[in-house]
Amino acid sequence: MHVQISDLCFDYSSSKTPTVSDFSLHMQEGEIVSILGESGSGKSTILRLIAGLETPKKGCIQVGDRAFCQGDGVYLPVEKRGLGMVFQDYALFPHMTVEANIMFGLKRWKRAERKQRAAEMLELIHMEDFRKRYPYELSGGQQQRVALARALAPKPSLLLLDEPFSNLDAHLQQRIRDELRNTIKHTGTTTIFVTHDEEDARVLADRVVMVEKGAVKQVGRPCDILKETFRGQTAHVEA
Amino acid sequence: MKIKGRVPTTVSGWGALALFSVLLLVLPSSFLVIRIFQPASENWEHIREYMLQNYMMDTLLLAFWTGLFSVAIGTALAWIVSAYDFPFRGTLKWALLMPLAIPPYIGAYTYHGMLNYTGVIQVTLRDHFDTEVSQRYFDIMNMPGAVFIFTIFLYPYIYAITRAFFARQATSLVENARVLGSGPVRTFLYVVVPVARGAIVAGVTLVVLEVLNDYGVVSYFGIQTFSTAIFQTWFAFGDLDAAIKLAGILMGIVLVLLLLEKFLRGRRQFSYSNTKVSPLKPQSLKGWQKWLTVAFTGSIFCLGFVIPVAQLTYWSVLTYEDIFSETFLTLIRNSALAAGTAALGVVVIAVVIANFTRMAKGVVPAVTSRLTVLGYSIPGAVIAVGVISFFIYLDEKLAALYDLTGASSALVLSTSLIMLLFAYIIRFMAVGYNSIEAGFDKIGMKFTEASRTLGMGWTETFLRVDLKMIRPAVFSGFILVFVDILKELPLTLILRPFNFETLASMAYRYASDERIQEAALSSMFIVLVSGIAMFIFHILIEKEPN
Ligand SMILES: Nc1ncnc2c1ncn2[C@@H]1O[C@H](COP(=O)(O)OP(=O)(O)OP(=O)(O)O)[C@@H](O)[C@H]1O
Ligand SMILES: [Mg+2]
Repeated sequence: MHVQISDLCFDYSSSKTPTVSDFSLHMQEGEIVSILGESGSGKSTILRLIAGLETPKKGCIQVGDRAFCQGDGVYLPVEKRGLGMVFQDYALFPHMTVEANIMFGLKRWKRAERKQRAAEMLELIHMEDFRKRYPYELSGGQQQRVALARALAPKPSLLLLDEPFSNLDAHLQQRIRDELRNTIKHTGTTTIFVTHDEEDARVLADRVVMVEKGAVKQVGRPCDILKETFRGQTAHVEA
Repeated sequence: MKIKGRVPTTVSGWGALALFSVLLLVLPSSFLVIRIFQPASENWEHIREYMLQNYMMDTLLLAFWTGLFSVAIGTALAWIVSAYDFPFRGTLKWALLMPLAIPPYIGAYTYHGMLNYTGVIQVTLRDHFDTEVSQRYFDIMNMPGAVFIFTIFLYPYIYAITRAFFARQATSLVENARVLGSGPVRTFLYVVVPVARGAIVAGVTLVVLEVLNDYGVVSYFGIQTFSTAIFQTWFAFGDLDAAIKLAGILMGIVLVLLLLEKFLRGRRQFSYSNTKVSPLKPQSLKGWQKWLTVAFTGSIFCLGFVIPVAQLTYWSVLTYEDIFSETFLTLIRNSALAAGTAALGVVVIAVVIANFTRMAKGVVPAVTSRLTVLGYSIPGAVIAVGVISFFIYLDEKLAALYDLTGASSALVLSTSLIMLLFAYIIRFMAVGYNSIEAGFDKIGMKFTEASRTLGMGWTETFLRVDLKMIRPAVFSGFILVFVDILKELPLTLILRPFNFETLASMAYRYASDERIQEAALSSMFIVLVSGIAMFIFHILIEKEPN
């Protein structure tokens, strides 16, 4: 779905400088955007604002024809937003099986449909045989895939991923990256994912937003801006 | 385009529930504060003129000497067990906690029963050694005796906190001191004690609060403290106003104690981020040092646990046939009912308040959680007076309603079990709350947030995710409160409805009627339950990887 974020501002009560200032982003339906920036630049905070886990000081967020938050007092709580979110450490519910985790967000569905949807998602992530396992019985990569399936199962209007690969080893990262892109493109979900790894952005993103100190520094296609940064870096080294 | 900090409705729902609970918890104490300044009665003039100084002296002396000896024993034991290796160390490490399973008032009459003229010691001396020793050498029903009783049964508070501190913190400092050539005594006095100051002060504060709370030991030994004074003015004179004034002064003492604690803990925080967290490597002791250590630690354990338990067991066996009857089963049922209901109340309220304080930010939740744990520092007699005046007030206000319903008496609430349960909840709220808050801290916010992004509101998330995950904390909170209530005496004695006896109140009644042997079975039951609970918790804590 089409996403419109404008002039988002936010600071944590304990910090003096703004954590996010005037963040704006416009997305097409089905687009994958990567937010790229250094550690502490406010990437996770931006994602939490979009999700509704933090309340922005000002700014608008609109997804499709629904306003998530707006100046005139409209503020939709997290659970009403219908988003999917994959957390950095996945946050799979340890007391539920893989299947129960995936079905968790489908509370308004009929029972049979829930089962059906879970089976579909398990097939999508190639984990049909792990239906009855508990999260601690899975490898890191498998957990990551379950977290993705759980987020995608309710057919979210927007998918948010926070450093989805940071808990995986390098070899696995590469494989999962391709898989993830295929899965997301297959479902056609509009996606924002946060990373500090340029390679992630290059492989996955249609567009990259570079942030620095909570503000947008640059926006563009990965092939354009990532090359630039690369050149910038070499120039820096030579100087 | 400013967005107001809007509070979602579910949060305000939980908030309303939490604030209402807190209000109920603090209402009786605020009632006291208001009523302290009412004009004094004749009794009060008399008390103030002739008695107050005695109450003050005895209370402070008792608190001071108990605090001092508990610090000495508790800290020394914690250090010995952490820093040295000697035979039975593994067992003694947890065995030294066990005296906490025996409530001091049970310890008091057990020791008195052993030491009096017909007790096991005098009898043995007479029958087997033909010696007649004057009873006055064995009299413990005095101030030093009370200090001994409190010290031997309460030092584990200091021992436990300080040992936990040594396990996390002390390593590098102590190793440095050793490398610099400082001997064991010097290391202990100049490095260990100052570094552990915060832990020691926290522990001794708990000990002194217990002493101020006590009614059983001091009344049995005939020592005049504020707790006994409050009882007397209320029961003997029926003068609630004077009792309230005494309670107010006792609260003042507690307040000074808490301020003193804050001051003594100091600003120096030894955080364990800058020291490597590796357990201290215990040094092996050799020769006479080894056996002296075993003898010292072992004899504390014997005095605080083995001897009283052996004596209680013996008496229980003697009186078992007479005591174990329908009446005794009623006692068990009453105790379990009161402790179970109140512990359930504590856990439910604690969960509501703790969940509110984690979902809302700002001053209100912070204050709420501070107020919730306040009750634990308020002595039982004070809570009792506050709750009584609160309930009598309610009864007065509801009198019209009672007339309508045709109730037989004007005092409905203030003669019911509800009053006692309410007081238990206030007093032991902190125990349950701390356990549940720790449980919430351990799971953090990520599962809650994950659930909410999947479309569940706060309440649904709480039921389907949070509650399931904090179950162990809820369970342990319940058990801890249950055991504490089982042992509780002052509130039970003052607030129990007519003819409602618990194991604790019955044990106390027997003992004060000098029917010590008959008190043993109830006491044994209490000690057994709390001993088992402590043992289980110890095992759980030691087994847990983190
Ligand atoms: N709960 C919080 N309270 C106060 N300050 C916070 C909180 N969370 C984050 N911050 C601060 O906000 C800034 C942005 O944090 P954020 O987590 O958004 O960064 P990030 O770009 O996601 O970093 P990383 O790549 O390390 O995850 C940091 O300076 C951080 O210290
Ligand atoms: Mg982050």
